[in-house]
Amino acid sequence: MGVNTKAIKTRIKSVKNTKKITKAMEMVAAAKMRRSVEATLNTRMYARLARELMGHLSLMEERESGLLACRPVKKLLVVLVSSNRGLCGSFNSNLFKKTATVLRDTDIGRHRRVNGDADILPEGPIEIDVVGVGRRSASFAKKNGYNLVAAFDALPERLQYEDILPITNLIISSFREKTYDKVVVAFTEYESSIVQTPKLRQLLPISAIDIDKMLAKFDTENKKRIDHPLPEDELVEIENYTFEPSVEDIAEVVLPRLVEVQLYQAILESAASEHSARMVAMKNASDAASDMISGLTLQYNKGRQAAITQEISEIVGGASALE
Amino acid sequence: MIKFKIVTPYGVTYDDTIEKVTIPTQAGEITVLENHTPLVSILAAGELIIYKEGYSTGIAISGGFFEIRPNSEVYIMADTAEHGTEIDIERAEAAQKRAEELLRQVQSAEDVDYARLQAAIEKELVRISVGRKYKNVGGGQ
Repeated sequence: MGVNTKAIKTRIKSVKNTKKITKAMEMVAAAKMRRSVEATLNTRMYARLARELMGHLSLMEERESGLLACRPVKKLLVVLVSSNRGLCGSFNSNLFKKTATVLRDTDIGRHRRVNGDADILPEGPIEIDVVGVGRRSASFAKKNGYNLVAAFDALPERLQYEDILPITNLIISSFREKTYDKVVVAFTEYESSIVQTPKLRQLLPISAIDIDKMLAKFDTENKKRIDHPLPEDELVEIENYTFEPSVEDIAEVVLPRLVEVQLYQAILESAASEHSARMVAMKNASDAASDMISGLTLQYNKGRQAAITQEISEIVGGASALE
Repeated sequence: MIKFKIVTPYGVTYDDTIEKVTIPTQAGEITVLENHTPLVSILAAGELIIYKEGYSTGIAISGGFFEIRPNSEVYIMADTAEHGTEIDIERAEAAQKRAEELLRQVQSAEDVDYARLQAAIEKELVRISVGRKYKNVGGGQ
């Protein structure tokens, strides 16, 4: 027999099993993706109201206190949101590539100003530290020679708001202690189930532009606010506001929440992106398996056919030899 | 009527027009009626009571902040918010016991942990009391 049909048969079987697995993983990823997207959307309302409230607060107090302080950047902290598991295509490598490029850019040390004041530039070379979210982030820090301050790799699949508090507490306290002068988050933004883009956003000092960018994604109303920070009539109304007990006390409660909600969103979006990247990767794998199965089946049938033809000609040859 | 919303990081818990609302703040409870002066303040863990068409609904909240805007709009930004009838009292009690147990262990540990646990206990106590109050409303009547 020319072709080993038995070997092909076992191969078909194993490829079929693999396909079953990849298909199942694809479906699971799709369901998880939907859940993450839903959670992202649920948080949006909270984020928006908190952002509007911050707008009201910042009119009342000077901008340079606490979590709003723009200091010349000496040390920068990057919160890198990667995945815990593999099999998600180029999800992590895209994020790492983007982060590495941006971090090498000297622009990262600059504070952008909203109202056209001069930018605050770093005084010297900046040091960069990394806080990793997800197991894969450690390898990024190692490869690029950044100091890994902390790694949070045990976040649950169904992320709760409380789960990210250890991370925000860490970054907020180290920002207050002036260990870091700027904190950014690197994550993968979820645009659709096909398009996901790695992004970096500023967490601290709290930047209204970055929060608005986050909010603008799903509604057009907010896009306007980026161009026109606050309409005139709202400026007048704000004079009538009462703040209890005081603006500072309220800022103490509201501002950390804004950092939390931004990071929460970033991690949820990353999860949505990860699942959709995995879904696509698994779909490709399932398709490749289908192709392989049909190729192998063809090969198997050809082999079988050849064997039958050969057997018949042998029988015919044997019979004619007897006559 | 007041345009009233409770939002948490998990989504919008309550969205309706109501007659009045009693809000637990750090300086004590306040009741908000129509055309209240614009106000921003901090929430305390406690029971928020919504009055509408002669009925009242209790909602257990665990801190956060709120804003009263001109034109009778009230937005509550709570860390968590639960309807009285949704609270599982047994689980809330278990959670409170757990937090108290932990608190005993970390007496000596860092202040941060201590404060966090105390907040957790406070939150569970509120949930229990609000849950008890509305225990019979859902099934009974």
